[in-house]
Amino acid sequence: MEGATTLSIAQFSLIYLLLLIVLFIMKRSKIDKTKLLIIASVRMTVQLVLIGFILQYIFANPNPLITTLFLAVMLSFSIHRVFSTRKDLNKKFKVIIAISLSISGLAVLMYFVGVVVGKNIFNPQYTIPLAGMIIGNAMTGLTIGLKTFMESIKLQRRKIDTLTNLGVSPKNILKPFVNNALEASLLPTLNSMLGMGIIFLPGMMTGQILAGTLPTTAIMYQIAIYIAICTSVCLSVFCSLNFGYRTLYNEKNQFIG
Amino acid sequence: MNNILFQTENLNYNNMIDFADLKIEKGKVNFIIGESGCGKSTLLRLFNAFLSPARGSVRYNGQLLEEFDTLKLRKEVSLVAQEVFLFDASISDNFKQFYEYRELDVPSDEIISKMLKVCCLDFPLDKDCTSMSGGERQRVYTAIFLSFNPKVIMLDEPTSALDEKNSISVISNILEYCKENNIEVIIVTHDMAVRQQFDGNIISLERCVQ
Repeated sequence: MEGATTLSIAQFSLIYLLLLIVLFIMKRSKIDKTKLLIIASVRMTVQLVLIGFILQYIFANPNPLITTLFLAVMLSFSIHRVFSTRKDLNKKFKVIIAISLSISGLAVLMYFVGVVVGKNIFNPQYTIPLAGMIIGNAMTGLTIGLKTFMESIKLQRRKIDTLTNLGVSPKNILKPFVNNALEASLLPTLNSMLGMGIIFLPGMMTGQILAGTLPTTAIMYQIAIYIAICTSVCLSVFCSLNFGYRTLYNEKNQFIG
Repeated sequence: MNNILFQTENLNYNNMIDFADLKIEKGKVNFIIGESGCGKSTLLRLFNAFLSPARGSVRYNGQLLEEFDTLKLRKEVSLVAQEVFLFDASISDNFKQFYEYRELDVPSDEIISKMLKVCCLDFPLDKDCTSMSGGERQRVYTAIFLSFNPKVIMLDEPTSALDEKNSISVISNILEYCKENNIEVIIVTHDMAVRQQFDGNIISLERCVQ
């Protein structure tokens, strides 16, 4: 099969013309987001150009230390993202989330690269892109799970207080909230698994096919990555919430928020 | 000492509310009165360890509150708060869900109807709680708490959503039920009519907010 045609800069620049259509429609529809569109496009371009050069360098000079460092940066960035969306988490809860996301993400990644693909887990060409997908999706799932959990316990304060006054243990009060949030965090991944192949060809598979991989190989990677994503979302949200909810009350069974 | 249900000493909550030392006696209806913001609801929450004091102590049956297992204590000293919560379901489903949380068998329909009658409600058990008025919901809520037969029931403004006539019949029924079942009663109320209608201890909280 033929590999992806290398794009010249001039050819590549042509794709930006499409943004003019978006700009035109935005102007016509009085959507005041033209500035955001420009900033978003510029940021995306700059960020990806940078990462493109960095990855090219790392792949050319594989070094376990750099791969590890890359993973550490990825993890801290995603943990930071999760925290920045929620200002209402206590310190212990945050530590639990950081540990859960790191361990779940890395464990699934190691299994994927080391056991399923059978490569050295410090091999940057496999580890880095797969880590990005696994950790990135775990981060999104965690954000949804935490949002659902924290918002529903705030909304249902009366229910929590009533059950507390009836002598129900905080564990029994909060467990249903934990389970609901876990379900909410898994739904987007499960939905895309349902539609996959029929409604859309997922990005990773498209990329591999363009790069010349046989579609049958590409689908195996795609299926594998989705199962890995689903597992890492499930594990990180499950661990974060199941250990985290215990930080919301004290030994006297009083809620401390 | 034996006839003292609750006794407080130098009680302070959150370094904001100081409570004058007070005693709540057994075998009598105890009315707690006072201006709004003087800590009536807070006091009840300190009694069932929903909250902890910053300083001072509460004794329940002569024993310091800290020595109790809080979950057992709250089952024994039941607080019916002002903020009503019911599941968006029928009356019988509400009983069912609360009893499941308490890990107890759901009471029979006769018992549920009896508890509703104590609270002056005459509804079919499949009536949806979401379509009820505030006062009706408040009484279903109280009926559920009463049905667990705690040793002490603390009612925080139990008739805030009722008119005077209804308030008096509800309280009178509840008091009768509690007397028959040896349940001690503490009622927080600002309702003069209710208080004057019934014999009991009156504990007046001074405004001691710092």
